[in-house]
Amino acid sequence: MTGGSEGHQPFLVLDGITRHFGATRALDGADFGVAPGEVHALVGENGAGKSTLIKLLSGLYQPGAGRILIDGEPAVISGPPAAEALGFRFIHQELNLVPHFDAVGNAWIGRRHPRRGPFLDRPAMRAHVAAVAARIAPDLPLDRPAVRLTPGQRQMAEIVRALMTEARLVVMDEPTSSLSETEAERLHTVVRQLAASGTAVLFISHRLDEVMALADGYTVLRGGRTVGAGRIREIDRAGLVRLMSGGSASTGSAAKTDRPLSAGATVLAADIAFGPAGARARLDIAAGEIVGLYGLVGAGRSALLKALWGAVPAHGIMRLAGRPLAGGPAGRIAEGVIYVPEDRRREGFAGALSIADNLALAHLSDFRRAPRLPMPARRKIDAFARQVGARLRLVAASLDRSPLTLSGGNQQKLLFGRWLGRPVRLALIDEPTRGVDVGAKAEIHDEIRRLADAGAGVIAATSDIEELMALSDRVLVMNGGCIVADLAGALLTRDAVVAAAFGHASADLSQPQNQAAAVA
Amino acid sequence: MTLLRRYGTLLALALIIAVFAVASPGAFGSMANLVNITQQMSLLAIVAIGATLVMVVGEFDLSVSAVVSFAGIAAVSLFGAGFSIASVFALVLVTALAMGTVSGLLVARFAVPSFIATLAFGTIIGGLTFWISDGATLFSGIPPAFRDLGRGALFGLPVPTLWLIGTAAIVWLLLDATEFGRRLYAIGGNREAARLVGLPVRRDMVIAFALSAGLAALAGLLLAARLGSAHPTGGGGYLLSAYAAVFLGMTAFREGEPSVPGTLVGAAIIAVVSNGLTILGVPSFLQDLMTGAIILAAVLVRQFGRAGD
Repeated sequence: MTGGSEGHQPFLVLDGITRHFGATRALDGADFGVAPGEVHALVGENGAGKSTLIKLLSGLYQPGAGRILIDGEPAVISGPPAAEALGFRFIHQELNLVPHFDAVGNAWIGRRHPRRGPFLDRPAMRAHVAAVAARIAPDLPLDRPAVRLTPGQRQMAEIVRALMTEARLVVMDEPTSSLSETEAERLHTVVRQLAASGTAVLFISHRLDEVMALADGYTVLRGGRTVGAGRIREIDRAGLVRLMSGGSASTGSAAKTDRPLSAGATVLAADIAFGPAGARARLDIAAGEIVGLYGLVGAGRSALLKALWGAVPAHGIMRLAGRPLAGGPAGRIAEGVIYVPEDRRREGFAGALSIADNLALAHLSDFRRAPRLPMPARRKIDAFARQVGARLRLVAASLDRSPLTLSGGNQQKLLFGRWLGRPVRLALIDEPTRGVDVGAKAEIHDEIRRLADAGAGVIAATSDIEELMALSDRVLVMNGGCIVADLAGALLTRDAVVAAAFGHASADLSQPQNQAAAVA
Repeated sequence: MTLLRRYGTLLALALIIAVFAVASPGAFGSMANLVNITQQMSLLAIVAIGATLVMVVGEFDLSVSAVVSFAGIAAVSLFGAGFSIASVFALVLVTALAMGTVSGLLVARFAVPSFIATLAFGTIIGGLTFWISDGATLFSGIPPAFRDLGRGALFGLPVPTLWLIGTAAIVWLLLDATEFGRRLYAIGGNREAARLVGLPVRRDMVIAFALSAGLAALAGLLLAARLGSAHPTGGGGYLLSAYAAVFLGMTAFREGEPSVPGTLVGAAIIAVVSNGLTILGVPSFLQDLMTGAIILAAVLVRQFGRAGD
């Protein structure tokens, strides 16, 4: 059965939809329904068919079989203009703003601009956008180019654009994956507001806490099929996970294995000024510990990791097992430091190279035909790639293909895989599992724990607090470019982490020196 | 269809050769003429192979034709001043490598868009060339032994063809079989990712620009040797043809990546069309028209192939 909101019948129903791509069944009997004013969550692991379903709604794909009903009438969504005319709006995971346009300019793209004679009537354009923004994002700077907006503000600019004309359905694909906790809260408020005004909101999220807190109804897809749908208040988190995984996979952020917290030797001692003005961090990382790095967006987590990696300038002391770190990323690699970047497409790999070549890229000299001959042997690279693929259970049609053909979870595994087989002393990991499905998430977490068990110090920055709590032995919280709290043991609670990130930490938590004493 | 998409450009080359061979079996299809085509394409292909190196890292070097002209003028001037062949080669090539290094530094170190940097620097080189030559064609003082480096035959093959074979083999090996080559493709694919995995991005880019200028200078030296003279704009025609060859080559193999075999196919198409049409007595404006149409057709076939994926 498809889920309807209490008091409302679904206005949009998908009934037994199939969509095949060659032999791949992206959708194979998907049912779905959403009512006016309902917040509906579409959940499922990567590859479950969520994206395909959304592309059907936006008219990019046509169903192979099954029906789309709108207000009870069979409908054909012939293309994006048809979807637009139906009042369907889409906010994609990768935002689609013109970087140098401000919110006003972006909101009017593709619409009939108000004009005075042959010229654009900027005051009228702005007034209209301001009226829309006043309802949902009154503090959005309308005249600032999109490049200079924060991720949260960009999201708001997208939503403003979506609501320029009457919207019946707003579809959001992972809307909070790059937002800080406050920004996500803000977005949740807007979503509830939209629903209260009668607009249906369909959102895709891997954050189950968010789904539980925000949605009225849910639909779970698995293998292109609807395996569950209903009211959120009639199911719990574990129930959703069971439906998504088919009852096999763990919850991803499963109970933390109680790893013995041996007081290993210090691998990293750093006291550096870096990146944004006034950013300064002092930290000590011991061998075998997983240190979670938390903070709101803009708190400086990524900048700190990049500074430690030598990819952005930093001043001060960085010592790895007592020896100063130098020589940029290449120098770090030589010393057994590894790095997994935040944005895998932009910073992680070269799409024009094969999966195998990407895996070999960071240490090409390991694959030489002869020790002094800087010519890589195809055979050795392929053998390494196969070994990594087997070890990380990489799901790839072929290792000769581009990494762009991989799912998000497998792309992420690739970034870990390139460092396999090398002794690791320090791992710098930025957002280990963003946009990764539950199964791959658990595997990546296991991989991180293996690194620590093998004696590496691990710093893992994440904006997913469930992940932070599941993974970390100790948590450093950043705010305004500085480490403001160092939490472990009994002091490491969700509340303490969030409080510190928001700058509400009590005095004794905000002093790293005191905290180090408390941990010891 | 897949076959057409993957090897369309190669098939086009084969088809063009077949058409000319049927239209003019005696003149075009003769072994002597086919060998002659390899000679006609050799200088263009050497310049294009240099441009390929820079294209692999995702940049343009628009100064190649200026360097070709400069190398010829510089060489003949140096002969006039009494330098030996070996020292002329060394001086000209080292100067060109230095020029390429400057372009590379402008792009890699100072983040000037390569289009602008190499256009401006190419213009400077052009001015320098005019200054040295006083705007005149130079031909006095060229030793006959130098002229033999650009003409005649060895082992039954024209000497320029041998230069091309050597150059193509070395650069192909460099791009395809060495760590340096892997790094260049990675830099072209995703510069930030390459930087973050510790590749020496700036240094490698500078080397690519330097080699591009070096190969353009080699072509300039061979051109002067073949003609027995040097003109301050003698290399002017090479820029567009070289990039046409690279772009055609990018449609020939591998997923749209520049490569040495691709560039060779591209240069061959341009040379075959030019040679065939000349033999058939077609006026040269029609040759340009056809060459342009062939490039567009190759790229369009590719785009349609993409859409079908």
